[in-house]
Amino acid sequence: MPDFTFTPTQRALLVRLLRAAYPHPTFPDGPFERTADAVIAKANENTWDGLTLAAGLNSLDERAGGNFAGLSDDVAEKVLREIADAPFFRMIRGVAVVGIYDDHEVWERLGYEGSSFELGGYLHRGFDDLDWLPDPRITEYDGPDQLVEVAPDDEPGAQS
Amino acid sequence: MSETTSASIPLEDEAVVIIGSGAGGGTLAYELTQRGIPCVVLEAGAYLTPEDYENDEWGAFGQMAWLDPRTTSGSWRVATDFPTLPAWIVKAVGGSTTHWSGATPRFREYEFRTRSYYGDIPGANLIDWPITLADLAPYYDKAEIAIGSSHRHGRPPLPANNNYKVFAGGAERIGYKYYATGPYGTNAEPYDGRPGSIQDGFNFQGDKFSSKWSTAVREIPRAIATGLCDLRTSCQAVQIQHDRTGRASGVVYADADGVLHRQAARAVCLAGNSLESPRLLLLSASASHPDGLANGSGQVGRNYMRHMTGSVYAQFEQPVRMYRGETMAGIVADEARLDTSRGFVGGYYLETLSLGPAFLAAFVEPGAWGREFTEIMDAYVRTAGLWIVGEDMPQESNRITLRPSVTDAIGLPVVDVHVDDHPNDVAMREHGYGRADLLYEAVGAISTHHTPPYPSTHNLGTCRMSEKPPEGVVDRFGQAHEVPGLFVSDGSVMTTGAAANPTLTIVALAIRQAEFIAEAFARHEL
Repeated sequence: MPDFTFTPTQRALLVRLLRAAYPHPTFPDGPFERTADAVIAKANENTWDGLTLAAGLNSLDERAGGNFAGLSDDVAEKVLREIADAPFFRMIRGVAVVGIYDDHEVWERLGYEGSSFELGGYLHRGFDDLDWLPDPRITEYDGPDQLVEVAPDDEPGAQS
Repeated sequence: MSETTSASIPLEDEAVVIIGSGAGGGTLAYELTQRGIPCVVLEAGAYLTPEDYENDEWGAFGQMAWLDPRTTSGSWRVATDFPTLPAWIVKAVGGSTTHWSGATPRFREYEFRTRSYYGDIPGANLIDWPITLADLAPYYDKAEIAIGSSHRHGRPPLPANNNYKVFAGGAERIGYKYYATGPYGTNAEPYDGRPGSIQDGFNFQGDKFSSKWSTAVREIPRAIATGLCDLRTSCQAVQIQHDRTGRASGVVYADADGVLHRQAARAVCLAGNSLESPRLLLLSASASHPDGLANGSGQVGRNYMRHMTGSVYAQFEQPVRMYRGETMAGIVADEARLDTSRGFVGGYYLETLSLGPAFLAAFVEPGAWGREFTEIMDAYVRTAGLWIVGEDMPQESNRITLRPSVTDAIGLPVVDVHVDDHPNDVAMREHGYGRADLLYEAVGAISTHHTPPYPSTHNLGTCRMSEKPPEGVVDRFGQAHEVPGLFVSDGSVMTTGAAANPTLTIVALAIRQAEFIAEAFARHEL
C-alpha cells in the first residue's frame, strides 16, 4: 500500500476544490470534508492516484494565478473547466459524485427521506400527497378507441 | 437461508441442471419440480432474503450487483462512462427478478414478426420469431397469474403515487389514452401469500416487504418445498459438456472455494442472462464444437440487444417527491406501436422512474459536474422522472465475445460487450425525449434533462430463436439446434427485443419450455 500524506492545508484546498466543482452554497462543510477524506483514502489505494493527486493539489494555486482558495465560485469553476481532463481532477470527481450524494447530511438538505421500510413505507406518509394536479385515472383506458398497433401503411404488402 | 432444506442430488445422478435462478431458471425449477422432475439449480450468487436487502442504493448495489469484471467496446456511451459495467444485473438467488421494477406488458403480435413487418433494415439482422403471439398467449396468462400482475386476471391497480400523478397528468394533457399504473408485478393488495405494497420506494434494491414478485420469494422456495430441487448457491457453471452422441450430458461448476465439480445431466437449461449464457457456450468449446457449444451458426453472442432506452427528469416549481412509492407503477403505451411516419420502426413505452440522490448523481448525466449539474441535484424534491424503453435493432456486430486478456476470480476469460447504436435506435430515442418533454411541459415543467441509457438492465438476444439453424442458436422451444438436451431459458433466446420490459415474456417462455421438457421426458425423447 502506498503512503501518501496530505497536509491540513492540502486537505483544505481539496475541500475548496470540491465546493467549487459541486457548488451547493447552502450545504455545510461536513459532506465535502468527508468526501475529501474519501479522495485521500483512494489516493492511498494505488500509487498512480496518490502521485497524481499530490501533483494536482501542489500546482493548483499556480494554475489559479496564486491562490485558488481565494477565487470566487464562478472563477474557480472556470479554472476547473480548463483542467477538466487532468487525471487528478477526474479521479476526484469519480470519488466525489458518489461521496457527496451518498452523504445523509446531503440527503437531508435535498429533502430526500431515504429508507422507509422501518417506518411502514410511505403508504401513510405521503406517497400520494401531491396536490397541485388532479388525481389521474389509474385503470387502463376503457373508452371507445382501440390502439392501432400497426399503422395501415405499415402492414406488410401495403402500398407506401 | 431458506427455511426448507434443499434436496441433495448426487453428482452422478442425471438431473435437469438449471444454470441460474432468475426469471427463466427460477421459473423452470418451479415448473419442473411441480411435475416431479428433480432439478439441480446452480446459482453463482448467494441466497439473499428480504431481511438481507438494503434500502440504500449503493449499499444494495454492492450487495447484489454482478460486479465481476467485464469490458466494453463500441460507440455506445456506456463504454465511455461505465467501461467495466456494461450491465446492471443481479448475482443472487432470484437473479435479476430481485431488482426488476415490475412492469409487465406483453409483446405485440407484430413484434414477433419484425422481418415481415419492418422489411430489410440496413445494418439490422432481423428475422421473424419461430413462434407467434398466439403460441405464447396461454403462457402469458400463466405468467401474469404467477407474478400477480396488476390490472390482469382480477388483480386491482396500484394507486397513483406522486411521480405517477405528474406522469399521467401530462399524458392526459397531450392526448395519450393508454396510460395506467400497470400492468405491474407488485401486489396492490395481498395475493399469493404476499402482502400489498407499503409504497416504500425501493424496488431495484430488492423488496424487503415481498409485495413484489421475484423467483426468490415464490418459485425457488416452492421448488425446494417439493423436495426435488437441489439449490447450490455460490456455484458458478464453467462448462457444459456433451456426450459422444452429441447430447448435453453434464455441467462443470466451481463452488465457493473455486473447487470444480461435475454434475451429470439429463438436460441442461442455461439461464445466466444474455451476457453469461453466451459466455458459457463460448467457454464450452470442444473438438465437436470448435467455435463454442451450439455455435455452428456463428450466432452465439451476436445480435445482443439492450433495448433503446433513455430517461427524462423534469423539474417543477412545486414538490413532487418522486421517490415515495412504487418506482415503475406508471406506464404509457400510446407509442408502443408500429408507425414509420414517426421516422423509425418499432415502438416504445414511457414508464415512471425514480432514483435517489445517490444514483441520480451518478446517472443523470454521467461525468457532469459544476453548476449545471448541481442545479439538477438541488431540484431533487421538485423532480419527476420517466424511462423510455423501446425496441432496438439486433445487429450481428453488437456482440458478446470472450476477452482472454482479462480473467475473473476463477481464472476464466471475461466477456467484452460491443455495442454501436443503430440509427433506428437513435431516431426512436430522440422521438421519446421529445414526447417526454411535451408530456412534462404540459403540466408545468420548468426544465427537463435528457439522461442517456444506464448500464443495461434488459439484456437480450445472443442465443436467439430461429426457425432455420443457420440463422440462430435455439429452436422454437429454446433447445439448441445442434445439441439435444441443451436449452437456453432466459432473454438470450429473444429473436428480437420488442418494446416491452422482458421479464414477463421470459417467464412465459420458461413455463412453455418446462411443459415441453416434461412432455419430452414422458415420451422418452430426452
